[in-house]
Amino acid sequence: MRLWLTLAFLLAAVPVFGDVSVTASVDRNRIAFGETVALTISVQGAQNGGQPSVPKVDGLTFAGPSTQTTMSIVNGQMSQALGFTYQVTPTRTGEFTIPAIEVNVGDKSYLTAPIKLVVEKGAAQTDLGQTLFGRIRLASQQIYLGQVMPLEVLVFSRADVPLKSFGGFNCEADGLGFKFLQNLKSGTQVINGESFNVQVIQGAISPTRTGTMNFGPCVVKAQLAVPRNRQSRRWPFDDSIFDDMMSRVQLREVPVTIDATPVEVLPLPEEGRPADFAGAVGQWNLEVTAKPTEVAVGDPITLTIKVSGSGNIDTVPAPKLGSLDEFKTYDPTTKTTKDELNTTGERVMQQVLIAKSAEIKELPEVRLTYFDPVAKAYRTAVQPPIKLVVKARSGGESTIVSGAGSRLRPEEKLGQDIVYLKGDLGPVESRVSWPLFWTLNVTPVVALVGALGWKRRQDKLRGDIAYARRSRAARAARKLLAAAANFDDVQHALQSYLGDRLNIPASGITASVGEEHQLPADVAGIFQTCDAARFAGAQTDLATLKREVERVIDELENASL
Amino acid sequence: MNWKTLACSLLIAVPVFGSPMDDFKTANQLYDAGKFAEAAAYEKIEPKSAHVFYNLGNACFRQDKLGLAILNYEKARRLSPRDPDILANLKFAEQRLGVEDANKPPGAVQRFLRSIIESRTVNEWSGYELAGLWLTALAIGACIFLPKLRTGFLIIAVACFVGLAASALALGQQVINDHRSPQGIVIVTGAEARFAPLPESTVHFQLAEGTKVAIREDRGQWLLVERADGQQGWVKTGAVGRITLQ
Repeated sequence: MRLWLTLAFLLAAVPVFGDVSVTASVDRNRIAFGETVALTISVQGAQNGGQPSVPKVDGLTFAGPSTQTTMSIVNGQMSQALGFTYQVTPTRTGEFTIPAIEVNVGDKSYLTAPIKLVVEKGAAQTDLGQTLFGRIRLASQQIYLGQVMPLEVLVFSRADVPLKSFGGFNCEADGLGFKFLQNLKSGTQVINGESFNVQVIQGAISPTRTGTMNFGPCVVKAQLAVPRNRQSRRWPFDDSIFDDMMSRVQLREVPVTIDATPVEVLPLPEEGRPADFAGAVGQWNLEVTAKPTEVAVGDPITLTIKVSGSGNIDTVPAPKLGSLDEFKTYDPTTKTTKDELNTTGERVMQQVLIAKSAEIKELPEVRLTYFDPVAKAYRTAVQPPIKLVVKARSGGESTIVSGAGSRLRPEEKLGQDIVYLKGDLGPVESRVSWPLFWTLNVTPVVALVGALGWKRRQDKLRGDIAYARRSRAARAARKLLAAAANFDDVQHALQSYLGDRLNIPASGITASVGEEHQLPADVAGIFQTCDAARFAGAQTDLATLKREVERVIDELENASL
Repeated sequence: MNWKTLACSLLIAVPVFGSPMDDFKTANQLYDAGKFAEAAAYEKIEPKSAHVFYNLGNACFRQDKLGLAILNYEKARRLSPRDPDILANLKFAEQRLGVEDANKPPGAVQRFLRSIIESRTVNEWSGYELAGLWLTALAIGACIFLPKLRTGFLIIAVACFVGLAASALALGQQVINDHRSPQGIVIVTGAEARFAPLPESTVHFQLAEGTKVAIREDRGQWLLVERADGQQGWVKTGAVGRITLQ
């Protein structure tokens, strides 16, 4: 039974292209610019098919596809489907037609019906309606050319909206330069009795031309954690199987379109514009210090001018100084610091001045003229002249400095002499002892050569058995000989020696070995003497025979075999 | 003879020798008192340290014997080559006599090499050479007996050998200079270097006081000396002080 069921399943899996239909659909036909629409091409009645060839449409981009297949058997009737899903993103507003898309299933081609898609500018189309929305907050609807105005983009999400993060952010702002900070601020706010989470994107705008213009609309891509089956409802032929296989929630990107805010960019007023106005816009403070204020002619004075406040520091020129004809001047050094949005800043200029005469009584006044956009009027910050006491130099030329902030000093003639005595004997160093030096030099060399030789010999003993046996032959034989108590032992000692010396098995060595290896005749004689003593009971002196064997061993050691 | 008489006799018989430190302090006191000629008692102190030569150089300087001062500063420098006081006074004395440039080797490379070689004493170079030799031998031994670590020890051996070779060369140069071609300082004004070791020989060139020379040959009354620029001539032995520490 189980076999039949399996067979039936396999047969069902065989591609069958009987009643095949191909359709294309989008989840929405009208979207706002910045939103993404899902284009689904479903092939009913087939599980295999070629990937659709999506034509290019000007103004639309297609990403994907993701592919899904389903199969179900109900009352013995099998149905199968294949789906391709593309994410379609408009690059501009307007009406678009996605033309017929060709899909090949088996050896047949199928065409889908064309689809209309309308992309609108700035229309709020989110499904979430009043629970997820945004606002743009400006300090003022009026801004002057050259002014930098902070702004905030606020995204409100009701407490039950599962907002996780933002996937992107874009604003339209023709004629307005803008910049946003990366880090968001967050808080809560109650609107109409409901609590909302507020995400604040901080930024600043600066106009590039005058006139009335809009900042926005802005599209913030909010990422919501939604249950997976909420999205799968849009999938027409999927009813259960994939939901169970995947996780329960997924991130869904929802565009939040924020309406544009009108901004009126005003030109800087001509009326009352001072002649020395050079374009500084903002609210600026001016501080001037000079050090030292009591100098001799030729000495440098460092004049420090600090401009700080709110506004675009880049528009602030160097403050005007009165006549400096009585001073020798050097190029000023400038250091500018500003915040990330360029809404506040500070500029410090240092100028080195050298008084040319003792008649000088004060430094000239310093002026900075700027336009205050809050007061909507031109202002001039003035620092009055700083009193100086300049004394005449008593003889000699003044020295000229080349760097800002450095002090001038008359050239000083330092005395020169030898350094004074040493107060102690100090270390008395005895010269190196040359015999000891050479001994210490030779020792490591000798030790190294010795170690090398020992290592080579050990390697040879391990790798060359004949050499190893030959090396130990005499020593081992003499040991045996010394311990020999009878003729049997003496013969064994000689056999052992010859076996090691000739690298042959010792046990098989007899008197004939002398002839085989051209040994002295004494060797055969010793074997015969031993045999006679052992087997025939011949009277032979054991000590004499041992000495004879030792003599033969000595002789063979010096001979080359 | 009672014991008191014996003790007095022994006290009279035993010569009184001050310790080197006492002599050194006494000489310093004489120097401070402006008795620079008497302060030359530094010469009697044995063994001589770098500080003794240095103070002796100062005493000579105060007596306006700048050649002798330079000679003693050079000796002090041999014992303590990096002492800033010694180097400062040597330079100052050479500048006074206008021989600072003349005493330097002519080429930049030679000057650099000499500054390296003279920056250490013979003992220091010997120590470096021995350390380099032992470390090289140990590293080679490790290469032989620890084949798995051969590459690492080979690198160490090469590095040690380079150090060994450099210090051996520096040591050799110092020793050879001391023995075969010792250096000297002209300690008199207007020393004349002649073509031959004869009073009637033609003067080849004049040697300014404080000039450093290499002594090529010693014929008792005459020395064959060579200037830094390579010019050679015979001068009377008393005109040149040898930079030796004995």
